[in-house]
Amino acid sequence: MDVMSAAIVYGVSFGRTVWGLLTRPYETYRRIAGHGKLGELIFVVALLVIYFALASAVKVTAFRPFLLTRQFIVLLMGAVSSISISVGSLWVAGRLFGGKPKLEVVLLAWAYTLIPTVSWFMTTSILYVLLPPPRTTSALGILFSLLFLVFSATLLWWKVTLAYLTLRFGLKFDFAKSVGVALFCAPILFGWSYLLYKAGIFKVPFL
Amino acid sequence: MVDVTYQKFVKRWEEVTDIPPQTFGPLTSLYKKMTRRLKVMPWPWFVGVSTLLAFGLYLAFGSAIASLVTLLQRGF
Repeated sequence: MDVMSAAIVYGVSFGRTVWGLLTRPYETYRRIAGHGKLGELIFVVALLVIYFALASAVKVTAFRPFLLTRQFIVLLMGAVSSISISVGSLWVAGRLFGGKPKLEVVLLAWAYTLIPTVSWFMTTSILYVLLPPPRTTSALGILFSLLFLVFSATLLWWKVTLAYLTLRFGLKFDFAKSVGVALFCAPILFGWSYLLYKAGIFKVPFL
Repeated sequence: MVDVTYQKFVKRWEEVTDIPPQTFGPLTSLYKKMTRRLKVMPWPWFVGVSTLLAFGLYLAFGSAIASLVTLLQRGF
């Protein structure tokens, strides 16, 4: 299979999976764990790159190639380190709790949980330009605040659902063990997110 | 024809039994009812619960939710 054909196959598979995550997350995660291909990650990475390019432009606010590139690299490294730590700690926890998780399955399953994360960050960046903070306490300000909170919480539930399905299908654990893995990983991810917050890279954890 | 159907059934059966079933003792049926709604088109539930949460925050903290949204908007 040549590069173009492979890109089309993985692209179609990625599109079907994202649609599945929206409409049938449970079945879709079963398919990701059973038949997912690492090649689909290219499209997740492409989404991240697009977002970090946009976020760099919004944060730097001036056409200064050096500053833009530096900001882009900082954001990308922050995200890559967070994703590596998330996947690594899930895999280690999976083994500690008696499972035999495959690293590539955990990686692919976790990578798809980044779709709600990127969606929230991208929308927030665009809204930052269109309706820059601070929000006011006028009727319109409160209405926007309510809508933004509904939007944020909706994507958070989606993220939590996909993260749970990663544990369920990526590690093949029942609810009790999944909670155990989550409790094992939470302090690690919290600590890393706090470090990134103190470094001024991500104020909201990019997990 | 029968072979094809049987093979599909076996494949599906293997997929379904690949992970352990979830049981919560007496709460198992309640758990199954709740998760059934999250397995297919979960958005009405996500949006519904989020709306309740947002209005709950507004009732609890009033216009201070504007400050929370300001923080979140600067959080990317």
